Amino acid sequence: MSLERTDRTGLQRPYGTAVDWLEDLSETQFAYLMLVPVFLLMGVMAFWPLVRTFEMSLFADAATAPAPIGEFVGLENYVDIVRGERTASLPRPFWDGDRPLASAIPVTFVFTAGVVVVETLLGLTMALVLNENFEGRRWLRMTLILPWAVPIVIQGMIFFLLFNNSVGIAGIWLSEIGVFTRNPLSTPENALLVVMVADVWKQTPFIALLVLAGLQSIDRDLYEVARVSGATRWERFKTVTFPLVLPTLLVAMLFRSIGAMKIYGTIVPIAGCNTVPSLSCVVVSTFNSRLYGTSTAVAVLMAVIIGSLMMFYIIPYARTDAGGV
Amino acid sequence: MATETGLTDRTDEDRNVLERWSRLAILDSDRVYRGLFAVIVGFFLLIALFPFYWLLLLALTPERLFSDLGLVPIAFNVASFIEAFQVVPFHWYMLNSIVMALMTTVIVIVIGSVAGYVFGRLDFRGKTALLLAVLIISYFPPTAFLIPVFNLLTGNVEVLGISSPRLYNGPGAIVLPLSALVMPLAIYILATFFSQIPDGLEDASRIEGSTRLGALYRVIMPLAAPGVATIAILTFIITYNEFFFSFLMTNGEPENWSPIVWGITRYQGTRAIQYNLMAAASIVGVIPMALIVVLAQEKIVSGLTAGALKE
Repeated sequence: MSLERTDRTGLQRPYGTAVDWLEDLSETQFAYLMLVPVFLLMGVMAFWPLVRTFEMSLFADAATAPAPIGEFVGLENYVDIVRGERTASLPRPFWDGDRPLASAIPVTFVFTAGVVVVETLLGLTMALVLNENFEGRRWLRMTLILPWAVPIVIQGMIFFLLFNNSVGIAGIWLSEIGVFTRNPLSTPENALLVVMVADVWKQTPFIALLVLAGLQSIDRDLYEVARVSGATRWERFKTVTFPLVLPTLLVAMLFRSIGAMKIYGTIVPIAGCNTVPSLSCVVVSTFNSRLYGTSTAVAVLMAVIIGSLMMFYIIPYARTDAGGV
Repeated sequence: MATETGLTDRTDEDRNVLERWSRLAILDSDRVYRGLFAVIVGFFLLIALFPFYWLLLLALTPERLFSDLGLVPIAFNVASFIEAFQVVPFHWYMLNSIVMALMTTVIVIVIGSVAGYVFGRLDFRGKTALLLAVLIISYFPPTAFLIPVFNLLTGNVEVLGISSPRLYNGPGAIVLPLSALVMPLAIYILATFFSQIPDGLEDASRIEGSTRLGALYRVIMPLAAPGVATIAILTFIITYNEFFFSFLMTNGEPENWSPIVWGITRYQGTRAIQYNLMAAASIVGVIPMALIVVLAQEKIVSGLTAGALKE
């Protein structure tokens, strides 16, 4: 390393003064100075919008008036939405007991629970396969990652082309054997299933990669001990692999649950927000109708739901493994 | 392995029936296991690749033959790859996507690596609180930022009587929000990378008379280059693949910096739905990502893993 070039002598005058000034700062002052750009960007594009979204959710809609929002109404938006009194201004109800899979909360929760369970099981299996030693493992891993790297809009288009009723081979076949209706992508229950399949296709490799990293950090000696004491493959998995990979698996599930609650992009090209109305869909369509109060209130509710979901994972984990976090 | 070699040392007569039977079962179970393994690998490969095969098959089939469509190709009509660009100017959408992904990558690398250095190597008051504030952003759904960001970028927010700049329908409307939302992941991974560089190197160069910035750019940055490359690749993939802001921050015209999200969905809006062109455009749109996966598989794996798990 050529350190002789880096000494302070020989610098031009104004640059030298600035450098001297930087050198005289304390570590805390220097740190804050260096963080100015990132907090400027995130302040304007992330922190302020969050605060402003919450603030707007406390004001009434003003769809017709020139002003973007109406008068202060406190928590009225939330109360109305949760009690179902806003249904008229939503594209699809927030909660509808008669037709649950055509309303936002059930659609989002069924989607999240379904894809997280399937992706976890398939992802764990995929990781166990990739953890074996065999020729061409690198190629297999590369091929299996590919769906993860497909842009969301193309992912949607692929499953539109697989399941629509004119050229979609899978959709046509499932209609013929009676599992799907004649027009699956316009039937809420069928379309939701197609969106879930699309998500499983794209996101399973993500869980697999995380779990694979967890598997590779397991001490090989443990397997040797298990083998010597006569454990079968299944017993080795049950007593060594699974308990040791569980924390990683839970982290992967947490990430996927958060991601699944936000589902929006996959739905648009496959079936559209009217057929599969996720919570994000409700926010976007009320935003498009300039119902800013309702829209921001649903967005805040989403954030609260995702936050509670995180607690569901974090609290038991923190209790059992307090030292690890 | 040790027990097996022990068994083979003896002849068959030395073993009782149970021993012989169990030895066969062990060998056989290995064969069963290997067979099962091959089946599972085949299943995963089929699931991963069949959608791409279907895209290619559709793209190569001219419209008039759609009624005869099956699992085997029935035509080889490469012309749809040209026609797709004539019906929708998909090349412009792709160029917009790639340029905006590159812009986001540059912003994230420049700003994120400085922040990663500060969080990874410096000790200062309020560090934990600030880092938590940054990380918490990645848990919020994009919908929680939408309306204020949209109003800001359409020039509808006034600060001290000056209205915000109209960036809607321009690259800034997508690049700025996405940079901010990728930043938590970038800072987290880079801070981990920076903190793993031994203190001795930086101390030595400082004692030699190097300035703070000199040590950062001549000693620390070169050592953190693999981490920065990982972040660059992840940011590019995330931005190119993103849907939400890419869809809502432009009006869909290619001259207004609309990305592939709009390019692809425009095929659904054309008069006659041309499935073969949708498939052809989708294949073209995936190519940059496929190349990245082939060339930078290791970076993607290490980045995703480091982003989600603690080392």
